[in-house]
Amino acid sequence: MSVAHTGGACAVCYRAVARDRIPSMNVVVCVKQIPDPADPGSLDPQTKTLKRDGKLILDESDSYGVEMALQLVDTAGGGEVTLVSMAPNNEVSGLRTALAMGAAKAVLVSDDALAGTDALGTAKVLAKAIERAGDADLILAATESSDGYTGTVPEQIAELLNLPSVTFAKEIAIDGSTAKIQRQTEAGYDDVESPLPALVSVTAGVVEPRYPSFKGIMAAKSKPVDEVTLGDLGIDAGSVGWAGGGQEIVEVTAAEEREAGTIVEDDGEGFNKIVDYLAELKVI
Amino acid sequence: MRFALTDEQQEFRDAVRSLLADTCAPDDVRAAWADATLAGGGPGGGDGRVRRAWSALGEMGVLGLCVPEDHGGLGGTDEDLVPLLIEVGRAGLPDPVSSTAGVVVAALRDHAAPGVAATWLPRVAGGEVAIGVGFEGAGTVPAAASLDAFLLSDRDELHLVERTGVELEPLETVDGARHLARVRWTPSEATLLAGGTDDLREGFGPVNETFDRAALGAAAVLAGLSRRMLDMAVQYAGERQQFGVPIGSFQAIKHQLADASLAVEFAEPLVLRAANSLALGDPGAPAHVSMAKAAISDAADGAARASLQVHGAIGYTVEYDLHLYMKRAWALAVRHGDAAFHRKRVRTAVLGV
Repeated sequence: MSVAHTGGACAVCYRAVARDRIPSMNVVVCVKQIPDPADPGSLDPQTKTLKRDGKLILDESDSYGVEMALQLVDTAGGGEVTLVSMAPNNEVSGLRTALAMGAAKAVLVSDDALAGTDALGTAKVLAKAIERAGDADLILAATESSDGYTGTVPEQIAELLNLPSVTFAKEIAIDGSTAKIQRQTEAGYDDVESPLPALVSVTAGVVEPRYPSFKGIMAAKSKPVDEVTLGDLGIDAGSVGWAGGGQEIVEVTAAEEREAGTIVEDDGEGFNKIVDYLAELKVI
Repeated sequence: MRFALTDEQQEFRDAVRSLLADTCAPDDVRAAWADATLAGGGPGGGDGRVRRAWSALGEMGVLGLCVPEDHGGLGGTDEDLVPLLIEVGRAGLPDPVSSTAGVVVAALRDHAAPGVAATWLPRVAGGEVAIGVGFEGAGTVPAAASLDAFLLSDRDELHLVERTGVELEPLETVDGARHLARVRWTPSEATLLAGGTDDLREGFGPVNETFDRAALGAAAVLAGLSRRMLDMAVQYAGERQQFGVPIGSFQAIKHQLADASLAVEFAEPLVLRAANSLALGDPGAPAHVSMAKAAISDAADGAARASLQVHGAIGYTVEYDLHLYMKRAWALAVRHGDAAFHRKRVRTAVLGV
């Protein structure tokens, strides 16, 4: 594992004398490619899952992790950002967006046997893909995807890789072999420290993802995407997909429509109705 | 001939569309107006520019797209730029993207002395300068007071004049984001860029080509404005209810919108064709540009009328966003030749009369 330095010479370690060595930081970012939220999605009545056979785009919630990773590598002064993703039909459109932003390469897992994979299955696959991506100092993921919302995959990956896991990061700073993380809470944030490597999930909206430049878009075409199958990763097809799913979608029904509210004519005593209502809710 | 955009052109377009959706929202366009009351809100005091969008476009590489690679650009052509100008129209961005990144770059690249090109092209690619275009006769330039230089025609000569070399007479405009001014200036040997009747020069060629490219830019922006207005009208017709159903279900509404949409669908390929012809130096380019500008000027006018009518009374209010795009469309439909002027040019090209 390489140690990241935030510019200049480190006062305590060997790098203070070995200044010609380039400090570097390799970050792996888990990204999901999802159906464009602008197009109304639909469910496959057979599998009761979201149809994902059209063109996929980079999940916006992952763009924050990509941006944060690029900034960390910039700050370190070396290293690179590697993407890992799992998608049907060797879909790379969303990966190209992140490569155009500045990521160096990607590992893409695509296999027909992955259809129907649940959150834990996804974590198993991504964990293997992360190992294949090479030595990482830090692994970033979004808190949750914009089309699945399970919000559990990052922590499952951490468990499978036996790494420390920090959730809801709003800021990450690297100090030697430690990550100093501001972890968002309802009231504010906690300061957390974790040894590296670690898996950190990033809160959406905490950085402003850069726009890919035209030069970046052109360069992205020639960046390597390592397209692998379950066999390449040594994963038993029976442990993922429909076969390995620990859950089954039994039925899908439309969400209940919101009921019309109650209209109270104010005869001068209307406030009492509000007080009664709030009391009924045990708010007051 | 195939007019579908290449994968790369689509990616560029998508990147610009999402950039402008973030940096040039309706309220950003409003803020480019000088008069907040006429704009229907905003801070007022604008100068016809949305600088956040302009600098982001520069960083992305839009302004340097057509600048040759040895001057720090990407060596693109009109065909690459035009789909992005359509996005500029869709966002209603008032900034001089077409003139700076398209018209001026081509004039510098194709006609300027090497030293002049080497001075200006890297500055355009770096997003450091904004340049407007004006032709003898009208002599008007939008966002004039904010510009660094002007590409101006005088008879058969093209001149590049810095801001200090011109006097500006501000004009009142219906689209308050335009900040149009009449440019007064004196041609000199020092400002001469190209053209002229000297044996070594190229006669009217550079001026005509510059005019065609300016008309093409206006046509592309009109295509985007048309789509924006129709998108708004279609959305409104789907939401606004009357007699218990969305008004879009009435034939009087949907046929009107279908007609307006059809005109835009038919005009846009002409715009792409004209870009292809200009990029390749096709001798038919002037006629192709005129076909495009005539068709899209009429289509944009139709889109504006249909959208206004579908919106009913709210479409007339300045607080509603529609007027920001509609007034720009009115202005550009007559800029660099209205539909009638360009139909005449087509007639002359086809019939020789």
